[in-house]
Amino acid sequence: MKKNRLLTLAIVSVTASALVLGGSAAANAAPKSLKSIKIAAVVKGLDNPFFIGIKEGIEETALKYGVTVNVQAAPGLNDDIGQANKLDSLAGQKYDCYIIIPISSNNLSQAIGKITKKGKFVVNIDSPVDAASLKAAGGKITSFVGTDNKAAGKAGGVSMVKLIGSGKKIGLIAGLAGNVTSNARIDGFKAGAAGSTFVGPENADWDTTKALDKANAMLLANPDIAAFFAANDQMAQGISKAVKAAGKNIPIYGVDGIADALVEVKAGNITATISQYPYVMGQMGVQACIIAAQGGKVPKSTITPYHIINKSNIDKALTNKSSRGFFPNQLPPGNYDNPYAKKIKK
Amino acid sequence: MPINQKAEASAHAVVSASNKIKAGVKEKLKDPFFWSDWLVVLALLLVIIVFGSIAPESFLTTYNLNNILVASAIPAIIVVGQTFAVATAGIDLSVSSIMTFGAVSFGLAFTRGWNLWSCALIGMLAGLLAGFLNGFIISVRKINDFIVTLGMLSIAAGIALVLSDGRPVQVISEPLANIAIGEFGVVPYLMIIAFSIVLAAHFLLFHTRFGIHLLAVGGDPDSARAMGISIVKVKIIVYSISGVLAGFAATLTISRIGAAEPAANTSILLNSVAAVVLGGVSLFGGRATIFGPFVATLLLQALSNGLTIIGVASYYQYVSVGIVVILSASLVRTSQ
Repeated sequence: MKKNRLLTLAIVSVTASALVLGGSAAANAAPKSLKSIKIAAVVKGLDNPFFIGIKEGIEETALKYGVTVNVQAAPGLNDDIGQANKLDSLAGQKYDCYIIIPISSNNLSQAIGKITKKGKFVVNIDSPVDAASLKAAGGKITSFVGTDNKAAGKAGGVSMVKLIGSGKKIGLIAGLAGNVTSNARIDGFKAGAAGSTFVGPENADWDTTKALDKANAMLLANPDIAAFFAANDQMAQGISKAVKAAGKNIPIYGVDGIADALVEVKAGNITATISQYPYVMGQMGVQACIIAAQGGKVPKSTITPYHIINKSNIDKALTNKSSRGFFPNQLPPGNYDNPYAKKIKK
Repeated sequence: MPINQKAEASAHAVVSASNKIKAGVKEKLKDPFFWSDWLVVLALLLVIIVFGSIAPESFLTTYNLNNILVASAIPAIIVVGQTFAVATAGIDLSVSSIMTFGAVSFGLAFTRGWNLWSCALIGMLAGLLAGFLNGFIISVRKINDFIVTLGMLSIAAGIALVLSDGRPVQVISEPLANIAIGEFGVVPYLMIIAFSIVLAAHFLLFHTRFGIHLLAVGGDPDSARAMGISIVKVKIIVYSISGVLAGFAATLTISRIGAAEPAANTSILLNSVAAVVLGGVSLFGGRATIFGPFVATLLLQALSNGLTIIGVASYYQYVSVGIVVILSASLVRTSQ
């Protein structure tokens, strides 16, 4: 029995030490000031560089303004109920505003409804909550911050045609079948590169190795492919290996602007990446929350910028780190439109 | 003197009585079953005390305890099926996929304009079908539970994707959503439903002939067979129950998230296995409780809820939940 008691003690101390590690959320209240504003964020799984970028944006922006933030992620990539449970747990606490990225377009609606009933604000970033399910649950979104994947794809298409000329054959590699983001990027690209002939799109499930295999097969069947477009950077990396193995040197475009892809752009293996800025999404999410908590008028919806990163601006992107400096390319080069920043009362 | 004697005698009686109680307590404490039954309850109390003292104003509110009950309800139903499977010395790895399969079937019926009862029934039938196949293949073909249900995990997840074409079906229905939102007094409907299933399962396991047969098959299949118990029948029923419960849980999931999602939620599976082990059910079969795994489900949800409330970053949450599972399991093991 003594052994049992010792082990029980061990549990207590382990739990207790886990608590100490994260016991920072409790701040004392004083009305209105930035310091008194408390924000909770529930994001998707943190096993993807894109969502880590968002988390960075949220945490650094909160630090910058001196507001308190508690960032929580869904327990698993597809754990829609687990994510709803997290938001439920936070909804009972004294947060002024909640930043959310729903796993599916419906799973957080009921939890948002509860928050709205308490008179608190919800800022939706990245993937939109479905309007019908939100209405059914009595929820309200104060502001939406997201990217326009179609516009990003279109810009890539326009840029590529400029590079290779019109009427050429372009290979397309898409993400998961039926995925909304992938479809928007591919459709946008096709619109931007109208007049070209397209091979595919083949689905490579966002995966580097699968994209390598698909690109190999496409090159075998169509040796005259003049360029490739992939719906994300990881797949563009796979394509670059296939192109190299085929002894060719043709333009390859990816989307996202992740750190690995920037290195490949610098090395000349990938021609360009259409960079989106998850960091900015997190940043604007926090800013929207601050405005709402201060009682200001929050812009209804904002689209975050995208930029084509190629040889001409790669050095700038690589050194353009966030203040904590975890990843390059957190902020777009030059100025970008931020309708939130100026509305915050300091 | 006589008074003194009387006092002495009564004092003696008290001492001997207290000795008897002490001996009784000692005996109890030496009994491994006592420990594996009550350890999880102690652990739950501990979690409540720890979080309750760190964040009393947010953890110990009726609103939040309500959240924990809502969050525990669906896992608790899945855990009942898993407990049955483990009690026969098996395991059901396909629960989360069957749940997804059930949800997608519900969604298909819903888009065809069927009423909610029929949709729910279709979801349960889908679960029953998958569970029956599990039990049939395991017992008749005598293939390892682990392999068969691992196969079913993939098959059910795949069929769900095929049927739904990978797209969620939105199910907006006020009566259905009210099941997830509504409360009876302070107890959420979802928990009342889950607890009724737990009670029924307890009755089935400990007060029916089928329950005795189930434990016999799990504990010592050879003697069970010698006694004329049909192992095939028991296993088919057990996995069918697990399948039906997963199909039923699918309906409750839809009531909570307002959509039939085509992607399987693996956290549900991991949680169910963890809860069964924490609840003191022997992985070697033959010995089980229904309430142990139920309390363990509450424990896991309370832990996750508490860690979220006090703002422990998600990375540490994975670590702490894992530590609690392994530590508690090793406690149960040492006390056995």
